[in-house]
Amino acid sequence: MTTRRFALLLALVLAVDGTAAAQEAFPTRPINMVAPFPPGGVADLMARPVSAAMEKVLKSPVVVVNKVGAAGAVGMSFVANSRPDGYTLLMALSSISIIPEADKLFDRKPAYTMDQFAPIALISADPTVLVVRAEKPWKNVKEFVEDAKKRPEEISYSSSGVYGTLHMAMEMLTHAAGIRLKHVPYNGAGPALTAILGGHVDALASGPAVVLPHIKAGKLRPLAGWGANRIAALPDLTTFKELGYDIEFYIWAGVFAPKDTPEPILRKLRDTVRQAVQDADFKAAMAKMETPVAYMDAPELQKFWDKDAKMLAEAIKRVGKIEEKK
Amino acid sequence: MLETLQSLSHGFALALSPGVMVYAFAGCVIGTLVGMLPGVGPLAGISLLLPASFGLDATTAIVLLAGIYYGAMYGGSTTSILMRIPGEAASVMTCIDGYAMTRKGRAGPALAIAAIGSYIAGTASVVGLMLLAPPLAGFALRFGPPEFLALLLLGLLTLAYMSGGSLPKSLAMAALGLLLGMIGIDHMTGYFRFHYGVVELGDGIGIVPVAVGLFGLSEILLTAGQAEPPAVMRPRIRDLAPSREEWRDSAGPVARGTVLGFLIGILPGSAHIIASFVSYAVERRLSRHPERFGQGAVEGVAGPESANNSATSGALVPMLALGVPSGPIPAVMMAAMMVHGVSPGPLLIQQQPELFWGVIASMYVGNLVLLILNLPLVGLFVNLLRIPYPFLYPAILVFSVVGVYAVNGSVVDVWIMVATGLLGYLLRKFDFETAPIVLGVVLAPMLEMSLRQSLAMSSGSYWIFLQRPIAATMLFLGLGLLLLSVRPVFGKGKDWRRRLGLTGKVSSREEGTS
Repeated sequence: MTTRRFALLLALVLAVDGTAAAQEAFPTRPINMVAPFPPGGVADLMARPVSAAMEKVLKSPVVVVNKVGAAGAVGMSFVANSRPDGYTLLMALSSISIIPEADKLFDRKPAYTMDQFAPIALISADPTVLVVRAEKPWKNVKEFVEDAKKRPEEISYSSSGVYGTLHMAMEMLTHAAGIRLKHVPYNGAGPALTAILGGHVDALASGPAVVLPHIKAGKLRPLAGWGANRIAALPDLTTFKELGYDIEFYIWAGVFAPKDTPEPILRKLRDTVRQAVQDADFKAAMAKMETPVAYMDAPELQKFWDKDAKMLAEAIKRVGKIEEKK
Repeated sequence: MLETLQSLSHGFALALSPGVMVYAFAGCVIGTLVGMLPGVGPLAGISLLLPASFGLDATTAIVLLAGIYYGAMYGGSTTSILMRIPGEAASVMTCIDGYAMTRKGRAGPALAIAAIGSYIAGTASVVGLMLLAPPLAGFALRFGPPEFLALLLLGLLTLAYMSGGSLPKSLAMAALGLLLGMIGIDHMTGYFRFHYGVVELGDGIGIVPVAVGLFGLSEILLTAGQAEPPAVMRPRIRDLAPSREEWRDSAGPVARGTVLGFLIGILPGSAHIIASFVSYAVERRLSRHPERFGQGAVEGVAGPESANNSATSGALVPMLALGVPSGPIPAVMMAAMMVHGVSPGPLLIQQQPELFWGVIASMYVGNLVLLILNLPLVGLFVNLLRIPYPFLYPAILVFSVVGVYAVNGSVVDVWIMVATGLLGYLLRKFDFETAPIVLGVVLAPMLEMSLRQSLAMSSGSYWIFLQRPIAATMLFLGLGLLLLSVRPVFGKGKDWRRRLGLTGKVSSREEGTS
């Protein structure tokens, strides 16, 4: 810790020194990387190794700031409306595409719009996996879907919340498979996991890292993954694509800047992240969290994001406003 | 058993090694400070310190974070007792009798009992964590939404014991609290309720600003409104130690609070604040002199303070035994483990015995450190009361604003605190108790969520509450308690509330300050 502090201080000194030499230099002061979720959340856990590696490349501090509230809307609208000078960046998750659509659905004044952001780089994209309780009879997706067709709205699943990422993944599956499941939303991914472990629901779509220990312990059984490719940690697990379902879903994290950030600064930031993801410490940190790095530069990220946002928008429209049945 | 002792001795070897010990100590000190600062609780403290723990190894990191967690429960009682400002949410109940004791010149004993009760509860509950973790965690997981709803309904019954004023007034206040708890996103449908375009209100009204406003700010305003400034207290040295009577009165509440807190802490999703609410109600129900509650009963400090401490060890049970986050704080601690490449799960104890036993041993050490740290400080803290009000109260005001802001970095929270402070002032002027409002704000979102989740599970059938054995048992228990309570109303017996000393003639505050 102290060595890092020292390095940081040194970097700061060097950076200040550099300013005098070249007027155009960026950055001349610390960059803030906003994580719109609390410490310990996915956005925060991604932002910290990325910012540490960016610091090494830039030789200038990159500070993680947690701006929390309203399921990420507070932090994201903060970045969207901050000065586009490259000193305020955002570590966004898939929810960046969900909130504006949900706002539209409810006729709310949007907290921000997606075109307020310029993508810089994708850091990770973890496909969700479908897990069921180990004592349930379904050994594969086929049995699961057949049973669900026989008993519509009987098989239940938990999620991190309505319109949350875990809900959206399930919605894509139920739509593609033509089945109806019983949705029990929880208040976050942790409680959703607790619910399936306690036997209060039958199924869950989840990021792989958190369910892996429970799969190993034989409490949960994975049926399939939402990725285009299989997951390294579960090489035997098939994907929905392989099974003929045209669905893909990732819990992803990427770095964004406000839209009007000048091109040279954007380029510098893109170069920085490209080098940062090669950093050995960064790779080690990501490996410890069992999150594979899925780097994409801005143009590819823009394409990936457009596609992802479109899928999410469709899913949200399909779900529509939830009216409780009486 | 022998194996346990062996593992534990390994754990102690680790926990007492200087490298780990320093962090346990640091965690305890930071926790105490975090707990003391009005509003800022263990969650904010752990969140702020989480990034700093990334540089440590996994065991040391968890030792540090756990230290902050239970340390905060010690610190939280200090400002509650001395100034009626809850240092963190779970200390709300301590404000009532703790502050009343201060007004009677018994601040020293209140602080001492809080520290000793916390120590006993902390240590005893670590024993529980050590010996019972795996079976208890399995049981706790069976608490789904229906069981949780039944528990919360039981919790609502405690309302009747919470105030000394009139029952209709208490009910009105609880209803107000429940209504305030409705603000924010509807987790079942995604609708925002009563947010009036303020994005921050989408998360609902936080318990911290409400508690600090209703208790702390209103007290400052009331004092400022008195014709004569209250006399500055001059605590004497011989008044620092609890009397023999106070010791005797505290023993039962500490023991019961420990067990209650541990059991409630284990349940996924419950908060320490519920443990302290329930403990307070139980002590009042069992007391032979319930009329003393609200007027400075030492039981009202001993019970809740022990309960919120043992709830911390309880909350670690599902996390360490099963890798299940039972609340926001264990969730942050699990993130800390994942950063270090330790995946929390059912195999954690087998795969990471060092971490499990190291943390357990460090908790024994940490609780002792906290006791040694806190007891001598009682004398120092009590002397804070010597500060004249024109200096003390503005300082408290500043700390409250800083503390409430620091929790989420939200100015909206500060405004909520100001608004509820004014509300609390008006209500107390009209002899309304404010504790039921806090209970309502805490319970409303949980009650609603678990009711609607239960109904989602059963496709709308209410039978689910009777089909599930744990839920049904608790509901019948609650019904039984309710019937017992109303029986005298219909029969010839005395009004049960009068027997409990609950029918108010004078509000506790006037009694306390006079």
